[in-house]
Amino acid sequence: MIRRVALFLGSLLVVAAIWELYKLIGPEAGGTVFGARLLPRAQDSAMPHVWDMLSRFGDPERRGSDRANWRVVLAAAWFSFRLALAGFAIGTLLGMGLAMVMARFKVVERGLLPYLVMSQTVPLIALAPLVATWGGKVQVGEWVWPRWMSAAVLGAFLAFFPVAVGALRGFASAPSASVELMRSYAATWRATFLKLSFPASVPYLVPALKLAATSSVIGVVVAEISTALRGGIGRLIVEYAQQSTGDPTKLFTAIFGAAALGLLMAGLVSCFEYVMMRNRPRPEEDERALDTIRREALA
Amino acid sequence: MSEHRAVVVDGVSKVFNRGTPRQVEALVDIDLTVGGGEFVSLIGPSGCGKSTLLRLVANLIEPSTGEVLVAGKDAPRARLDQEYGMAFQQAGLFDWRSVARNVELPLELKGWDGSRRRRRALEMLQLVKLTDFADHKPWQLSGGMQQRVAIARALAAHPRLLLMDEPFGALDEMTREHMQAELLRICAETETSVVFVTHSIPEAVYLSDRVVVMSPRPGRITEIIDVDLGPSRTVETREDASYFKKITEVREALRAGEDDRETEAVVAEERSSR
Repeated sequence: MIRRVALFLGSLLVVAAIWELYKLIGPEAGGTVFGARLLPRAQDSAMPHVWDMLSRFGDPERRGSDRANWRVVLAAAWFSFRLALAGFAIGTLLGMGLAMVMARFKVVERGLLPYLVMSQTVPLIALAPLVATWGGKVQVGEWVWPRWMSAAVLGAFLAFFPVAVGALRGFASAPSASVELMRSYAATWRATFLKLSFPASVPYLVPALKLAATSSVIGVVVAEISTALRGGIGRLIVEYAQQSTGDPTKLFTAIFGAAALGLLMAGLVSCFEYVMMRNRPRPEEDERALDTIRREALA
Repeated sequence: MSEHRAVVVDGVSKVFNRGTPRQVEALVDIDLTVGGGEFVSLIGPSGCGKSTLLRLVANLIEPSTGEVLVAGKDAPRARLDQEYGMAFQQAGLFDWRSVARNVELPLELKGWDGSRRRRRALEMLQLVKLTDFADHKPWQLSGGMQQRVAIARALAAHPRLLLMDEPFGALDEMTREHMQAELLRICAETETSVVFVTHSIPEAVYLSDRVVVMSPRPGRITEIIDVDLGPSRTVETREDASYFKKITEVREALRAGEDDRETEAVVAEERSSR
C-alpha cells in the first residue's frame, strides 16, 4: 500500500519534471515536425511553470476577493463529486438491474443489448439539454426535479453501460460445472444468483465499476457545461478558460480539481475492490501459498 | 447388499438435437440397477454416453424414452429431495468461500441453521482428513485436497447415493490411488452407494462391485462384469493376480465393444454398396 502511494507520488514528480524539461528545451512559439504543427508552445501563457500553477491555488480567486483559489476549486469539486457519486450510484443500480434481467431472460439480452450499445453512441452534449428540459417538466406532488439531477442522470447514463456489460459477463462467468452443481441441489434461480452468479461476477464487476466511476465524473462535468449548471467544476473550467489569456495558471487549478475528483472516485472503487477481493486468489500468490501448504501437509 | 435399490434405469434412451442434422443418439436401451451400498463404475471410450447416463440419473437432463428411479422415486423428485450428492472432474469449489463453507453449501440450500451446518461440515472434513484446513480458502489447497473437499461437500447432506464423474481424472497417479482408498473407506463407513464414471480400467476394477462396460455410437451397455475383490481392498490388492485377471476381463470387454462396432460398420457398408 505504502509502496503504491510512493509510486504514485513518484510518477507525479516525473510528469512534472518532463513538463519542466519541455519548457526548457521546447520552442517558445510552438514548432513543426515535418511541416505539421505538432509541438506545443512552451511559453508561460500556454504551459505555465509547475510551481506557478501550484502557488496559484494559494492566491485569491479574483483580484480583491478574500477567498483563496483553492477554496473555490475545492468547493466546486465537492459539488461535482456529490453529483458524480449520485450518478455513479444510479448508474450502478441500473446497470446491475439490467444485467440481472438479461442474465435471467436470454430473450431480453438479445433484444436489449444492441440498444444499450447504441445508447452509448449518442453524444452526451446532444443529450444533456434534452434531459435538462425533460427534467424541468418532472414534478411529483411537492417534489420538483432539481437542476443538478439532470447532471447526475447524465453521469448515470455513462456509468450504467460498463456496469451492465461487466456484470452480465460476470454473471455468466460461473463455470458450467458449478451451475450444474447448484442444479443438482435443486437450488432456485435466486439462490443460484446469490450464492454463485453474483460472487462469481465480482472480478468482472471491479474493473467495470472503476470505469463507471470515472465515466460518471466525465458525464457530470460535460453535463454541467452543456446545461450551464453553476457550482461545479465543469462550470469552473469554462469560466477559467475564458480568463486564461490574462491568468493562464488559473485554468490549470480547475483542471487539477477535475483530475483529483476522478482520482477520488477511482479511490472509492479501489476501497470496494480491496474489501471484495481480499478473499480471492491472487495469481502471483497462488503458487507460493500452495507450496507452503503442501509442505505443511507433508510435515 | 440390502434389498433397497439406489438406482433403477429402465429402457432409457437419449437423443440430442432430435430432428436436426446434428441429431446424436447418445444412449440406446439402457437397463441398469444399482443396489443399496453398491459401487458401480461406468467405463467406456469417450463418446459412449457414460457421463450422459450419470446426468440422467442426476436429473440434470431428461431421458428421451424410458424411466429413471433414484431411491425409489422419479429422478426429478429425487433431485428436489436431494437424494444424491455429486462430484465432478473439476472440484468446482467456490473461491470466495472457506473450505468449511464450501462443504456447508448444500446444507445452506436445505435451510439448515449456522451452527448445525458448521458441525456437520467439520464432521465431513474429519472424514476426508482435512479438519486443519477448514478455514483455508480452496485455492490454497492442492488438487487432491480440493477433490477431497468436493467429496466432503457431496456427502455433507448424508445422501444414500454418490454420483461421480471422473472425480480423480485430473490427479497424478499417487494421489489418485490414495484418493481411491479414501473413497472406499468413506463409502464403507457411510454405507453410500456410488455410480462412478471413469475411463481408467484399473480404477474401475479396484473400486467397484460391478463394472459396466459401454460402447459408443450409439451408447449402450455391452457387458456388466462382477468384480468381487472382497470388502477390504489394500495396497496388496493392486498386486494380486485376481485383480489383474479382472483388469484383463474388462479390457477384453471394451475391445469386444469396439469390434462389434467395426463389424456393424462393415456390414452397413456392404449393405449400402449393394
